[in-house]
Amino acid sequence: MRIVIAEDAAVIRAGLTEILTDRGHEIVAAVGDAQALLSAIDAHEPDVAIVDVRMPPDHTDEGLRAAIAIRRGHPKVGILVFSQYVETRYAADLLAMRSGGVGYLLKDRVANVAEFDDAIGRIAAGGTALDPEVVTGLLSATRHGAALSALTPREHDVLALMAEGRSNSAIADRFYVSERAVEKHISNIFSKLGLPPSDSDHRRVLAVLTFLNDR
Amino acid sequence: MTESASPLRQMTEAPFTRRAWTELGYAVVSFPLSVAAMALIIPTLINGPMWALSTSAVRWFGAAARSLARRLLGEDVLAPPPIKPAYGLKVATSDGVRLEEAAKKAGGKARVWESRPGVTIRNLPRERVDQLIAEAGITPTSLREQSVFTNWMNERALDPVAWRARAYFMLKLPLSAVGLAVIAGCWLGGLFFSAYPAWRALGLGGAFRGNGFSSLPGSFDVLPLGALLLFVAPWATYAITEADRRLMRGLLGPVSAAERIQALEKSRAKVVDDSAARLRGIERDLHDGTQAQLVALAMKLGLAREKLYDVGGVDMARITQLVEDAHRGALEAIADLRTLARGIHPPVLDNGLADALATLANRSALPVELITDIPERPSAAIETIAYFSAAELLTNVARHSGARHATLEAVHVPGLLRVRVTDDGAGGARAVPNGGLRGLAERVRAVDGRIEIDSPQGGPTTVTIELPSHA
Repeated sequence: MRIVIAEDAAVIRAGLTEILTDRGHEIVAAVGDAQALLSAIDAHEPDVAIVDVRMPPDHTDEGLRAAIAIRRGHPKVGILVFSQYVETRYAADLLAMRSGGVGYLLKDRVANVAEFDDAIGRIAAGGTALDPEVVTGLLSATRHGAALSALTPREHDVLALMAEGRSNSAIADRFYVSERAVEKHISNIFSKLGLPPSDSDHRRVLAVLTFLNDR
Repeated sequence: MTESASPLRQMTEAPFTRRAWTELGYAVVSFPLSVAAMALIIPTLINGPMWALSTSAVRWFGAAARSLARRLLGEDVLAPPPIKPAYGLKVATSDGVRLEEAAKKAGGKARVWESRPGVTIRNLPRERVDQLIAEAGITPTSLREQSVFTNWMNERALDPVAWRARAYFMLKLPLSAVGLAVIAGCWLGGLFFSAYPAWRALGLGGAFRGNGFSSLPGSFDVLPLGALLLFVAPWATYAITEADRRLMRGLLGPVSAAERIQALEKSRAKVVDDSAARLRGIERDLHDGTQAQLVALAMKLGLAREKLYDVGGVDMARITQLVEDAHRGALEAIADLRTLARGIHPPVLDNGLADALATLANRSALPVELITDIPERPSAAIETIAYFSAAELLTNVARHSGARHATLEAVHVPGLLRVRVTDDGAGGARAVPNGGLRGLAERVRAVDGRIEIDSPQGGPTTVTIELPSHA
């Protein structure tokens, strides 16, 4: 996969490049600020852009604003927002645009190389990859708290995994249950939340995220 | 002023310091300003309306004098508060005297009318006056507010800031005139006498024709007098500007307790902003430094772990490299974290300021001679401010001055901690807005301390900070 990295900390930029190259990806550009990121995207049209939220000059949310700009100008470029903190508002901003092909992960997650690579793959394929902490934040921030409280703990966990962008079989593996059981949970969730069920993975994720963002 | 330099050296160098020249400049420039101010003040003293009309202009002259002192003398006199709006109520009542007393007790101003029964009350809000009237059990025959015009005239005619500024200029003008005469006498006399043989040779030494100095060899006798006058000149200038500084602090700044509170609130707000900025800085350092290093470390180890389970065979060389990198990264993170922690609160400060300053002096990039005399410990807050001030000053010395040697002095006498950093560098240090020295000055002032920067072009630089023992 062709990847652009935007990260102002040189150690992390180097580390990411090393890991992703090792996994067989091509790093077409590794830059340190949002302006350079936008030029790199224009020049290379990569499959995925990995974007740090805080970058020069102000170290606030330059990366996120750049990500939203990329979303507008290059809808085919998958975006992984990469941060040391979970900011629910950032995630909501990002997902509000369109929910496929985006991810928001804590930087810690990169330590599990296989999972990190997997997340990048999902994003490139138009799926989502949300950090469990982001999902928790979104779930607790939603004003549909009352509707969510109708879910059983297991259904809540399943919804969270769905929001992270996991497939049914991945969820089934996680809980050591059959895919059939997962499907049952999901249809329960949809009925409890008043959402029409659908067979497409992606549309389900969309539905979940639409719900999460409908605040 | 450098006590560390020998008095003789101080004496001989005095005419050539930057300070001597800025003080001379101040003495010259402030004179026409005082003349102009008095040209306004004297004619407008005749009656109340003229007081009112001249108030804004008098305040402007006060501000101009403060700004001149700030620029040329580095004397930062706080700005006094703006004109306080006046508000007057006319209460017609046969019981004016009682109401007058009540109003005065409530902190307002009141005056009973002489012509007909009633009282004018000023500077109390309407509700308070209503309350006073009710409490006194008075039924006023009429009650009306003073006109906007009367209020405007009152607030200006009696503006204490303007009156203090008038007093300042009345004292300042004679001081300035006498001062300028003395200074000019010293400088011109000094220049004249110290070059007297030259004037004599040019046939210009007329003043002494016919006495012992008129011969060419005799004309050299007046040289010491010239030199003496030249060296007295800066000290005379200093004495006169010092008197002016005192006048200014007393008469052009805020004076009442309330105004002082206002000024303190301002400086407290600065301190709060300052500490918020410091926290932000620490967060940034953690985010960009240690956190990033640990993430990178986790990446290396994550990759190394992957390699260990590689089905295609274990690449020991690569894994060794990754672990080596991770190890080095961990050591760097530890070192950075230690520096950061010390920047938040140096642990050695717990043992006392003297120990902490010794560590600081040892760590400095250039040789620092340390002189401490701290028999009794100041309060923790003062120790911390003193420590960070010294740290900042030493950093400045190492970074900007090009000095080869510095002296750090900390002396604690009852009630006062004095920290002084002297260097033999290029000088020219200034407190510029948003600069390190300005920030330092604000922190020092926030605890009622004082900072004095003496840094002529060419050096040496001495920065003296005086802090109260407890804050």
